[in-house]
Amino acid sequence: MKQKPLLILIWCLLLATVAWAQNRTITGKVSGPEGTGLPGVTILERGTTNGTSSNADGDYSLAVKPGATLVISSIGFESQTVAIGSSSTLNVTLKSNATELNEAVVVGYGTQSKADLTGSVTQLSGREVQNAPVPSFEQAIQGKAAGVFIETSSGKVGQGIKVRVRGTSSVSGGTQPLYVVDGIPIISDDQSGTSAPTNPIADLNPNDIESISVLKDASASAIYGSRASNGVVLITTRRGKAGATRFSLGFQTGTSKPTNKRDFLNAQQYVELFREAAAYTQAHAQTTAEQSQIATTEARLQRYSAGNTAYQTGAINADWQDEAFQRAPFSQYDLNASGGNDKTKFYISGLYSKQNGILIGNKFEKIAARLNLDHKATDKLTLGVNLGLTRTVNNRISNDNAFSTPMQIVSLAPITPIIDPRTNRPSGALDTLTGLPNTNYPTYYNPYLNYIGSTYTTTSYRVLGNVYAQYDLFKGLSFRSELGMDLLNQDEYQYQGRVTARNSGFANNGTAFNRHVTNGRYTTNNFFTYRSTFASDHTVEAVLGMSYEERRINANSLSAQQFASDAYKQIVSAAAITAGSSTSTGSSLLSYFGRVNYAYASRYLLSLSARVDGSSRFGINERYGFFPAVSVGWVVTEEEFLKNQTVLSFLKPRISIGSTGNQDFSDFASLGLYAGDAGYVGTPGQRPFQLANPNLKWETTTQTDVGLEAGFLDGRISIEVDLYRKLTKDLALNVNVPGTSGFTTQFRNVGNLENEGVEFGLNTRNLVGDFTWSTNFNLSANRNKITNLQGQVIEGGFLNRAVEGQPIGVFYGREYAGVNPDNGDALYYLNRVDENGNTYIDHSAGTTNNYDAANRVVLGNPNPKWTGGITNTFTFKGLDLGFTFQGVFGNKIYDGGGKFFSGSASNGYDNQTIDQLNRWRKPGDITNVPEARLNRANGTGESSRYLYDGAYVRLKTLTFGYTLPSSLMKYARMQSVRVFFNAVNLLTFTKYKGWDPEVNADYLSSTNNGTTTSSANISQGNSFYTAPQARTMTFGINVGF
Amino acid sequence: MKKITHFIAAAALLTSTLTGCDKKLDVEPLNNAPTEKALLTSADVEAALIGTYDALQSRRLYAGQIQFMSELLADAGELSFVGTYAQPGEAFRKSLLVNNAFVANTWTESYRLINTANSVLANISKVETAKRDRVEGEAKFLRAITYFELVRLYARDWNDGNPQANLGVPLVLTPTETIDASAQVSRNTVAEVYTQVIQDLTDAEAKIPTSNGVFATKYSASGFLARIYLQQSRYADAAAAASRTIASGKVLVAYADEFTTTTNTTEDIFAVQITAQDALNELTTYFSTLGRSDVEIQPQHLALYEAGDARRAFFKTSGGVVYTRKFDQPYGNVKVMRLAEMYLTRAEANFRSGTTTGATPLADINQIRSRAGLAPLTTLTLANILKERHLELAFEGFRLGDIKRNKENVGTISYNSTRLVYPIPQRELDTNRSLKQNEGYN
Repeated sequence: MKQKPLLILIWCLLLATVAWAQNRTITGKVSGPEGTGLPGVTILERGTTNGTSSNADGDYSLAVKPGATLVISSIGFESQTVAIGSSSTLNVTLKSNATELNEAVVVGYGTQSKADLTGSVTQLSGREVQNAPVPSFEQAIQGKAAGVFIETSSGKVGQGIKVRVRGTSSVSGGTQPLYVVDGIPIISDDQSGTSAPTNPIADLNPNDIESISVLKDASASAIYGSRASNGVVLITTRRGKAGATRFSLGFQTGTSKPTNKRDFLNAQQYVELFREAAAYTQAHAQTTAEQSQIATTEARLQRYSAGNTAYQTGAINADWQDEAFQRAPFSQYDLNASGGNDKTKFYISGLYSKQNGILIGNKFEKIAARLNLDHKATDKLTLGVNLGLTRTVNNRISNDNAFSTPMQIVSLAPITPIIDPRTNRPSGALDTLTGLPNTNYPTYYNPYLNYIGSTYTTTSYRVLGNVYAQYDLFKGLSFRSELGMDLLNQDEYQYQGRVTARNSGFANNGTAFNRHVTNGRYTTNNFFTYRSTFASDHTVEAVLGMSYEERRINANSLSAQQFASDAYKQIVSAAAITAGSSTSTGSSLLSYFGRVNYAYASRYLLSLSARVDGSSRFGINERYGFFPAVSVGWVVTEEEFLKNQTVLSFLKPRISIGSTGNQDFSDFASLGLYAGDAGYVGTPGQRPFQLANPNLKWETTTQTDVGLEAGFLDGRISIEVDLYRKLTKDLALNVNVPGTSGFTTQFRNVGNLENEGVEFGLNTRNLVGDFTWSTNFNLSANRNKITNLQGQVIEGGFLNRAVEGQPIGVFYGREYAGVNPDNGDALYYLNRVDENGNTYIDHSAGTTNNYDAANRVVLGNPNPKWTGGITNTFTFKGLDLGFTFQGVFGNKIYDGGGKFFSGSASNGYDNQTIDQLNRWRKPGDITNVPEARLNRANGTGESSRYLYDGAYVRLKTLTFGYTLPSSLMKYARMQSVRVFFNAVNLLTFTKYKGWDPEVNADYLSSTNNGTTTSSANISQGNSFYTAPQARTMTFGINVGF
Repeated sequence: MKKITHFIAAAALLTSTLTGCDKKLDVEPLNNAPTEKALLTSADVEAALIGTYDALQSRRLYAGQIQFMSELLADAGELSFVGTYAQPGEAFRKSLLVNNAFVANTWTESYRLINTANSVLANISKVETAKRDRVEGEAKFLRAITYFELVRLYARDWNDGNPQANLGVPLVLTPTETIDASAQVSRNTVAEVYTQVIQDLTDAEAKIPTSNGVFATKYSASGFLARIYLQQSRYADAAAAASRTIASGKVLVAYADEFTTTTNTTEDIFAVQITAQDALNELTTYFSTLGRSDVEIQPQHLALYEAGDARRAFFKTSGGVVYTRKFDQPYGNVKVMRLAEMYLTRAEANFRSGTTTGATPLADINQIRSRAGLAPLTTLTLANILKERHLELAFEGFRLGDIKRNKENVGTISYNSTRLVYPIPQRELDTNRSLKQNEGYN
């Protein structure tokens, strides 16, 4: 390195020469195809590092040498190279890169132009997620990518989000895609200490995202090997560009409301219905107690009416549902700066956002900082760093199945006052007889007491970053080395104070739970990239490299009780430690990967890729998996015979086949293990715990994809169609083994399933000119079928199961047949059983009022048959309007809470939905709601009575903005000012009777890896007091200067 | 060009260093121990023995379900099961289904215990010499009593047909390392299982010391031998084994005291230990008003007691329903073997074989009667002895075995009815084609 000072000297001299030679100033304006000025265009003097960028109006000014040539470029436009000649003014009109065929698409370990791509990749611009008022970016791309189904489980903020790329490819393993940020796979799995999942992806600042690439077929994803079966999401963060430093300041504020509320009985209706239900039970008494049911019920009503008789007149009429929700403000501040020179470029950003959930006590707060830096050390060596720091604080609320979750407040009787007049405290907070919270008033534990008396805060600190060095060895060949770290430190703290005693225990005197997780991983990627064109027609691109990744998760937790008062919440003040634990787990992955793309005359395209993954999770006999893929494409429009036409601007059929894997199961599933938990009255002991399976390996998915991309009328219309078929084998399952072995199951690769589907995408630029209108439409269908589970049936949710011959999670249960008009009995179809023991729907078998006598049958599918979205974007002068409708069709939703709140007063004293007033009352009544029979469970067994069509169409996002004229900006010394209105979930069209059709009960959907028995993939399409989605509206301003 | 060469060299070095990390794929589990490292030292094997006791403490086994379910099967109107669980209900109605989860779990948990015991025995040479006999004896004791319960529940009784031909349960005597064809075990005969049980217990009696804390002792082993010989009607052997056990120096305590303590009493020969931190007494769960109050005691049972019987006083009435108080200690130990049983066994065995090994039958019976506050008998019949046994050991899991060996009926159901035998669990038949289902089930 002795020559370094010399090098620097030479550089300095060169720069000085450049500076000396700049003796002319060129000014001009860069316009877009519509004639308006284009801001932020890079203008570079060719062969030098001298450059600038255009201002908000598109104007620029640059001092250049005589006879210079300018290179004018901007993302989304075709670059132009213009010799300036002798003039001092140069106005340029850039042509839109309309078909986006030259757009660089981010793929595994590199980029490729869209035109040359032979795999199926959907790339979305960071613009799609910018300023979206949602905690995590996935919510902002719902309905925007074909083949990618995204579902937020509820309106709780900070919760897990389901993302399925081309269907569900695993029964008991992971089903979420692999997330890779700037080349480094990141922690994306559930970190929650409860069975309701959280989402570490929310740690990313959406405004930092430059692009999102979803790798869907094997050709695109096989280079990620044993983790790619569920698709791969590549996120690239924004980087600085040479030129003046640009600042962007944003502020946004708004509020959220629930998308929907349900109608429940009012006080008078409630009393009427329950008196009627009690009268039935007394008239048909089966026990001595029931012979006085009417009096018993009257006493209950009085108890729930705070011990007075107000219930008899309806004087107290509480709408408890309203109490579950809160005013939910949202605010976000962000600032970023980017710029640099030809040697060093930077992007730095900071963001603070605070989003209150619609449910009482629910909040998500985020502070995110980022520094991305690239430095050209020599003309061959580039160094850089990408560093993201995040702190999130999530005030969580109880799982959907907990009495303490806000939504379960709807169970409380409308005759119960919100504030108990006897104590002037919230109902349930105080029993004047005992001085403690009430034990049997109101009907159930009042969730509002959790809001005032307990906290559950998850705080996480995340460091996600990598450094890289890239060296250009010689023309076309470079070597890149990356070292990345992802460190997630999460602390969960729960304290349940004395007022929550009815829920947390009267003897506890305060209950605390603290859990800490340190989840860290490091990754290194080292690879060569080669690109060259031979004999003008043969283009070769190749990647060859290796990567190593190591991951470790340490967790510990403490539970304690007995606090002197609620002023003491930390466990240091607890008189009794009731439980404590620490655990540690980890894995490592060693990989080699490569890819060769060959193009002949940009016409015939071939791509080969492969990855070898060695994983600590695999059995010793199956340490390394091999994942190859091959794809071909033909750009027909490059053929001579299509040159002389103007209709078809692009046509490319392509085919790919390859295999990918899934290894998202517990870390040590292949090992024979002993457990040390077998102590006997204080003496420690151990026991055989798990049978070794040295043959355990990844689940393999072989995917075939046939695609067609076409552009018409100079790219004004472009379509992309894909047909795919994913065959997954070696599903890793807990297989029953003979109990005489001392074990009941062994984790083995045994099952098969398949997904097949079609994706259709259409982009049109309907109007160009001053007024522009473009449309993006996508539609996808996926069919899932389990083909082999070795005869096992795995159940989940309320009625879900995984069974051979059916889609995963199919609803299987008794079919509700309505109400017997003669006597008000709930009826079920008997249906039939075939000779193989399989049941099938056949209403000719008649009905029965005996729930147990009815055969269980396949009732429906929780997986949508069709999903899609349509986005329209309009611009006129400074105005812009964009909105996305999202649609989900062909799925069913099971409302697990129905048996309680839509049970025609036949279960407990839960308040009922208003439709229960249609109950059968007298012979001849034709209705679907059975007679009200208190405690008789008339029709409240799990059945198709509570299974609903889950289809919906939703105005998912809407953005309306106005960019102030640049003429104004000059005076304000600003580049740009845009004011905007954002809305999420503005309108919903559905026949679903529950709160919201975008739903999945959180406690059933834990994806927490580490167990081999999760039924989360099976428990789909369920609601259980699950909160509706948030309808969020915000106003904001973005200022560039 | 030199720099390039350097760089290529550096890149190659970096790449090769990292590719040399094949060993990095061997990640050690930390929450659990790899099987190959679990049983290396004496302490390791001793810990596995404790793990075997822990298995015995499963609610599916001696923490209560074995006793509870057999009492329900044996009942003919002395109690009533009113709980909501379907599985005990099937036992109470003598109509067990092949997929009864209690039946399946008792089977799998038993073999889990047996596999743990087998692991101890396969590694017994690693145990320090001074401890080796005890550890071996205890492991064999635990394996034997589990096989004895299995063969009694899942197969025809010793006295029902030909035990040399009747199918018992599979004898698995080595630890499982892999699942292959050898895991498809078939059922040994009833006689083969009894032979193994007696051999293990005989070894255990020889190898376990007379005093061993709350763990099995020499007398626990001899006591079980007495129980088994009695089941086989080998009366002289049973009397002798019972005598050896009575010689332990154990003494009867006041009847109420026996069932109101949370620790072992001086009467207890073997008990499964329960503490607030470790396991639950499943008999409390079902029989007690502190539990689910699932078993109501019927007048037919109460009528059996003579006036003044302290054991008759050991019931309580709540809401007009009678419950036993035997299991009113939620963290009380589960009494598996009490000294009273040994007196009753010796009395019966001596009476039937016309011997007086240890003591006369009359003296032994009067020990039990006097402890219950009853006047001593002066003459004795077999019926006296059996009735005393019935009342003294009521609800403790003895009734079914006694009915079968005495060839009594359960109501109208004959002692040898297939309805009084557990089915082989469906999950076992599904996973092991070599198993044959019991008669009466398909």
